[in-house]
Order: sequence, then structure tokens, then C-alpha cells
Amino acid sequence: MLSKLLFRNQDKKQLIIAMIGSFLGMTFLIASIHYLIKVNEFGEGADILGPNTIIVQKQVTTSSTLNLVKTDFSVAEIEKLKKEKFILDVKPVISNNFDVLFATADPLVPKFSSDVFIQTVDKDFLDVKSTEWHWKEGDTIVPIILPRDFLVMLNTFMSASGIPQISDELAKDIKFKLRLSNENSEKEHIHARIIGFTNEVPSILVPESFMKYGNDKYGNLTPQKITQLMISGTESEFGKVEEMLKEKHLESKNSQMVVGRLKSIVGTLILVVLVISIIAVFVSCLVLIQYAQLLITKNAYEVRTLMRLGYAPQQLVNRFFIYFMKIFALISAIGLGLFLGLKFFLDQVFADGGIYIGTELSFYSIGSLLLAFLLFAVASYSNARKGIFKEF
Amino acid sequence: MNITLNKIMPFPLASIQHGEASIWGREIFLEGGKKIMLNAASGKGKSTFTHTIFGLRTDYDGTLLYDTTDVRKYTPEDWTKIRREKISVVFQDLQLFHNLTVRENLLLKNSLSDVYSEAELKNFLAETGIENKWNDKCGILSMGQQQRVAIIRALCQPFDWLILDEPFSHLDKVNSAICMRLINERCDQLKAGFVLTTLGDDYDFTYDQELIL
Repeated sequence: MLSKLLFRNQDKKQLIIAMIGSFLGMTFLIASIHYLIKVNEFGEGADILGPNTIIVQKQVTTSSTLNLVKTDFSVAEIEKLKKEKFILDVKPVISNNFDVLFATADPLVPKFSSDVFIQTVDKDFLDVKSTEWHWKEGDTIVPIILPRDFLVMLNTFMSASGIPQISDELAKDIKFKLRLSNENSEKEHIHARIIGFTNEVPSILVPESFMKYGNDKYGNLTPQKITQLMISGTESEFGKVEEMLKEKHLESKNSQMVVGRLKSIVGTLILVVLVISIIAVFVSCLVLIQYAQLLITKNAYEVRTLMRLGYAPQQLVNRFFIYFMKIFALISAIGLGLFLGLKFFLDQVFADGGIYIGTELSFYSIGSLLLAFLLFAVASYSNARKGIFKEF
Repeated sequence: MNITLNKIMPFPLASIQHGEASIWGREIFLEGGKKIMLNAASGKGKSTFTHTIFGLRTDYDGTLLYDTTDVRKYTPEDWTKIRREKISVVFQDLQLFHNLTVRENLLLKNSLSDVYSEAELKNFLAETGIENKWNDKCGILSMGQQQRVAIIRALCQPFDWLILDEPFSHLDKVNSAICMRLINERCDQLKAGFVLTTLGDDYDFTYDQELIL
């Protein structure tokens, strides 16, 4: 009866318009947060190099070949790069200053050996567990990260030898060894184990301590030049990194840049949609709150009389609050339902385009729905309380 | 519950000359259980009295005490309890919900304390001659019929005092007498008192006390 008295006689046109605005805003809010997170996660874990990380080197030109222009980086140049706002960290890539031979050391695998080039990068740039990525003098096995191209080459060799090709996981179980040597015929063998693969570095990666050991013990005395740098850029600002590379005549492997650029563009677009969604939700909620105010004002006589009859103001506040929370719950449920439908469609579109983003619901998109619900609840309650107690 | 008006002077009536017998500006004691008639001409403040006693107006000098408590100290929660259990009112403008039926108007009040069954409420309507209006919207009733509904609604709760602001202004003598009897019986049942404001008619009832504005 109380509901009939307070809510039956209302012009629901404005309410319906506000509800439509709210649930559309809500749908886009959840969707944009969901896809913003999923796009940022895209590509993560695919490589052992951390996200937003690239290896850069100076462009090799005729001048540099003729030794007119240096291709190595000076300390001042590295420091200058570090000062760029969109660059999080810069570290030199250290190479071997001694001879290295990489060979299979497994009775189940045919003999294979090759002179190789090894490098090391700061472990902060690598997406590996620190327990796996360490070596100290006396350790019999050194962990290594293999260029995927190297595995392809290994598989070609296997295939030619009539042996089945090996997968990433199987390759990690094969025993290998490294032979360190120098011009003085000093040499040492050490076992190696693959712990991961990279598409971005063309050489075998070893822990820094191992590189230092090799360079100290077998390296020649010529000081090492830093010809490659590892740079990690800030999220969604790869466009600026690319611009800087062009400006400073640096180059990087293109595939690294493509993912970064794609993430930047899509991320920015989704961010724009997110801002518009937030504005839409905010405006729609304001209209709903205003509608609630109007409803209380239109029912001022009823509210006043009910309180004179002995109805507690808080009881009436709760009535109005619950009524509008039910409306918002309905809006949220429809918004979530529409988002799930949209997600089903969009995931398909992304997959058809070859972009396999995670399909599970992101916590933040559901969190945004709950946050919007909570904010509306607070605003709705305080609005109802103010309106009812004014009539007391 | 006793009510004391301690030199109450509503601001809008402060500029008017009041007689020596007027309750405004004097110490008036309304003893619980007494049946009181408040007699005054139009514009002397009968509704102001009703609204002040009921806590709807605070624009006055002086103090209003329920037993020994100044009503200005009451919180909205206190007033809710008082309006449910201590004081019931028939307003001059009745304050019914015109979009609701007679049944709904009565049940809305009765549901707060469940003092009567629907059959008993119908019986009240029968006694006042409007039993056929049970499912009619209050908005389409005559003023006299509405007054009877408002009186019955005011009886649907426990109370120490019943304040009636010109409750019979649209009723004939017979219906006024019937309503007066129902009011008196209910007050006796609850050992409650009432204050009935009137333009001079005593409705053939013997009051314990008469006040003048």
C-alpha cells in the first residue's frame, strides 16, 4: 500500500530515458574497462622478455661501416635516454668477449655443435623466475634462453637426421653444453639447460654472473663496446618510443614495435570510449537522482502526512532508497547482460582478426560495476534522506 | 500523559490582542484523561494550537511540556513514537490520501499498531453510515464522509490524547453525535483525554474542561 501511494502515480517517461542512458553507459563502461585490460595483457607471457621491452641498436650505414660514425653507445647517451619520460629503464646488453661453442650433450640426440654468440641482459627485463635464472662459480649447469630461430634451425637439423622434431617443452629436457675458450687454448665445458625461448633476441642469453665469469677468465683485454641497449617503455606510449628511435637513428626489431604500436592505438581508442562511458554513467545517474528528488517533491504531501500518521522518516527513506536501488540493479543486470552478449561478439571479431585476447571476465570490469553501484547507492541514500527529513 | 502550555505565544499571533481567558501567553495544564473543549472564533489559532501540540510547529515563545519534558528536545524518532502511541489527531483539512480507497486509508494507519481487524473497521463505517464507501477512493467522497473516515482513522491507534480540529464542521447533528459517541467510547477504553476545537457548538456533550483562545 505504501508503495502504491508513493510510486504509482509517476510519469515514467523520464525514468525510462534515464534507465536507457544508464544501462548503455554501464555496458560501455564494463566493456571498455574489460577490453582496455585485455588489450594491455595482449602479448604478455608470449616472450620471455618483459612487456614493453625492446632491444635497440644504432642504424648501420655506409658511414658507420667506414668507421666514420660510431655504432656503440657512450655513457652520456645512455644517461640521456634514461631521462626520457616515457622510458622506464635502459640497460646495456653485454656480449661475450671469448669463444663459445654450443653443443648437444644428450645420448638420445645426435651430435650437433655450433659456434655461438651469447649475451646477457639485466634480469629485471626478463619474465623468468629468479630461482631459475642464476649461476655462480662452481655450479655445473648454466641456465640459458634460446632464440626461437635457433630451435627452428635445430629442428631442421633433427629432421635432416631422421629424428623427430622437438617441441619447446621437450627442448627444455635435452642436455646441452657450452665450451668456453680463448686464443690461448684455455677451455672449459659446462652443461647448459634451456629455461625459455625468445623471439626478440638473436643470441643465446645467459645469466650476468656467468657472462662476467667467462669474460674475466677467457676474455681478451679489449674493453667491451656497448652496441645494443635494452629499453623498457611506459605502457601505451610506444608511439613516443618509436618517434625517439627515428629521431636518434636507432633501430629495433619491427615485430616488437608492431605489438607496442597496436596496443598504444587500441588502448587510446578504448580509453576514449571509457571516458565517454564514465561521463554517460555519471550523467544518467544524475538524471536518476534528479528523478528521485522530483518524485519525493511530488509526493511531499504523502510523505508529510505519513510521518504525521506515525511512519518513521527512516522507514520512508528506506522505501525510496530500495526502490531506486532495485532500478539500478535492473540497469546493472541489463548492462552486464548486454556486455556479455557484446563480449561474445567482439571476442569472435578479435579472434577472426588473429588477436587472441583473454576471454575470461576481468575483475576490474566487474569491480567498476560494483563501484558505480556503490556510488549510486551512497548518492541515492543521501538524496532520499535529505528529501524525506526536509518534510518532517 | 499531562500536557503543559507554559506561556506559549505563537509568533503569528503575538501581534493580536488576546483576552484574559485565552490560553495564549498563560500557563495551561491539560490533565491526562480529561475531555476538553477549546472554543474560539475563526482566526484565533485553533489549528495553530493543534499543530503546536502535535509538534508540527515550533515558531512560538514559551515551553510546551509532555509531562516534564520540553518537546523541543524530541528527535524525529521520539516524535514518531509519540505519534504512534501517545497523540492522535484529526486535522481540520483531514489529510486523507485522495488516490487511495477508504479501506486503504484506514489500513495504512491501522497497520502501524494493528488495533483493529478489517471487520471492526467496517463496523465503524457502518456505525457512521458510510459502510458502502469501503472500496471508494477518498477523493470522491463528500466532505462529511471524509470527516467520518478521518475520525475513524484517528481512532486506529493507541493514544493518551486525541486532538480534534473542528472534526464535525461538515456533519449534521445526528452524525456529529454518533461520531462524538465513538470518540468518547474509545477515549474511555484507553483512559485517554481529548481536546476538541470548535467554533462554539458543544455537540450536546459534557466536557471536563473548557478552554478559550
